[in-house]
Amino acid sequence: MEAVVPKKHWTVAIRINHWAMAFAIFVLIGTGFLIAYPVTVPGGETWQKFSVGYIRFVHILFGMFLALLFLWRVYLAFFSTFRADWKDLLAFTNIPNTVQQIKFYLLIDKKGPPHTGLYGPMQSLAYLGLFGMVFLIVVTGIILMGAGYGAGFTALLYGILKPVERLMGGLAMVRYIHHVLTWGFVLFIVVHVYMAFWYDAVLKQGTLSSMVSGYMFEKGDH
Amino acid sequence: MVGKHYRRLLEQCKIRMDRFEKEYPAPREDFQALLKERGVSRRDFLKWTSFMTAALMLPPIFKPMVTRAAENFSRLPVVWLHFAECTGCSEAFLRSSYPNVDDILLETISLEYHETIMAAAGDQAEKCLEDCIHHFPGKYVCVIEGAIPQGLNGQFMRLGPKGETGVQIGKKVTSKAAATICIGSCAIWGGIPSARPNPTDAVGVSKALGISTVNIAGCPPNTVNFTGTLLYFIMFGAMPPLDGQGRPIWAYGKRVHDFCERRPHYDAGEFVEQWGDEGARRGWCLYKVGCKGPYTFANCPHLRFNDHISWPVMAGHGCIGCTESGFWDTMAPYEKPIHEATFGGGERTVDKIGTVLTVATVAGVAAHGVLSAMRHGRTDKKDGTTTGAGKE
Repeated sequence: MEAVVPKKHWTVAIRINHWAMAFAIFVLIGTGFLIAYPVTVPGGETWQKFSVGYIRFVHILFGMFLALLFLWRVYLAFFSTFRADWKDLLAFTNIPNTVQQIKFYLLIDKKGPPHTGLYGPMQSLAYLGLFGMVFLIVVTGIILMGAGYGAGFTALLYGILKPVERLMGGLAMVRYIHHVLTWGFVLFIVVHVYMAFWYDAVLKQGTLSSMVSGYMFEKGDH
Repeated sequence: MVGKHYRRLLEQCKIRMDRFEKEYPAPREDFQALLKERGVSRRDFLKWTSFMTAALMLPPIFKPMVTRAAENFSRLPVVWLHFAECTGCSEAFLRSSYPNVDDILLETISLEYHETIMAAAGDQAEKCLEDCIHHFPGKYVCVIEGAIPQGLNGQFMRLGPKGETGVQIGKKVTSKAAATICIGSCAIWGGIPSARPNPTDAVGVSKALGISTVNIAGCPPNTVNFTGTLLYFIMFGAMPPLDGQGRPIWAYGKRVHDFCERRPHYDAGEFVEQWGDEGARRGWCLYKVGCKGPYTFANCPHLRFNDHISWPVMAGHGCIGCTESGFWDTMAPYEKPIHEATFGGGERTVDKIGTVLTVATVAGVAAHGVLSAMRHGRTDKKDGTTTGAGKE
């Protein structure tokens, strides 16, 4: 039997950030669709009801969580004392590796490219895309929040982001972009969860549990 | 209590009004006599003054100044140009159920040139325009209604006995104007003439002429927003602070959705599901039948239209966002929420495409999973290691 060596992959910070972001994104997708397709509450007096108000509150609350978690994640990417992974996020720039990785995913080749960084080439591309989407959806979300709330920090952010609203073509377009991006997250979740299971099954290094324990298991004399 | 800032502003206003009364020609008509003649009492006029001061977001100490500006309103020479548009904005300003102060103000305005309502025609009309440019350079206000087509080198629009294009006339008049005010969507960003596919390549005045303009947005805009902006110009000698789209913040600084009388129904989750249902009868929120109030900045809920009688949402149809740039394209469809816009003329909305993509992705990864199990599972056996994918 080969020796199986546990190797630390993810710090506590990254793991907390990952699960908090995952939770926030699920809540945001749910409440987001409830805002796009609000449910009519027929009975009772108007003053007794505040359903859409509460849903918007939860959405904005978790939106701010997502914004802070994103800032934290970007900070970790550059200044993590364990592993600042911003270079790993550029793994896709190695073209032969990327081609080899695609062949591996399409089941043409049995082996992927050598694992040099923290992420594979396609993985790095997906995560960069995710960061881009989070950034855009946070920016459009802050614009949509600020448009209806003109005080404090929100007003300050909205003042800064007003030209972005203008650039995107008005609030209506900001709202539309916000809505379209949601689908990007839905698709990302499907592929991301599947790929985590796939790696766990094919490479047998404990990919799934690594986001809880922080350790991956590697065969041989690493 | 009035802040120091406002006291200083009031002093500036007084100095400006003194100068204005000296520099500009005498009023054509005695405004107070005209009000009496039209049956508007002094009391009504003072009520209007309070309303206008509040609408301009000024404290009550400015009421005498608003009165003074209204009395001097007819001193200000105005040139009103029509380009590619429907004249609906002029109509909206001219027609009302009974004469209120705003309408009388707009009647007294010293209109040197207005193609729809002037008595002069042909060369005479041209002379009016040239006289105004000659006599009041740097003093008159140029009001523009309508987009400027740029296609065929601007030849989609030729006006007047000399056959000048819109760009030529616009350049000639605005270059010597104290300020240029764009009335309505067409003059601001092109409006309906510039809606897709925009065959004449119509654009707004500021883009066509390369000048900055004060934009009274709307299709048509509210009379109060125009008179208020002119009053502000008379009172302070400058145009009011503007937002990113060149609209006066005092009029277009707030969102329709936030001051809508149906807003409580939005928060309560009470929506009109379709026209004529129980919710519609009870005046519930129009979001689900396409109200674009959440994306629109205007003071319609405050001021309303037609002597403050009603406005679209009060009448039972959602806002179509007519004060926003590109509303004809970006706010569509008008009777459905914005995410129900379709692509390619079919029924494809972003949510339908998203659902199909998600289902396809789920099916794709499922198929990939089965194929992976076959490929990686088989060779695992050959290598003599553990069988099957997914077993630890």
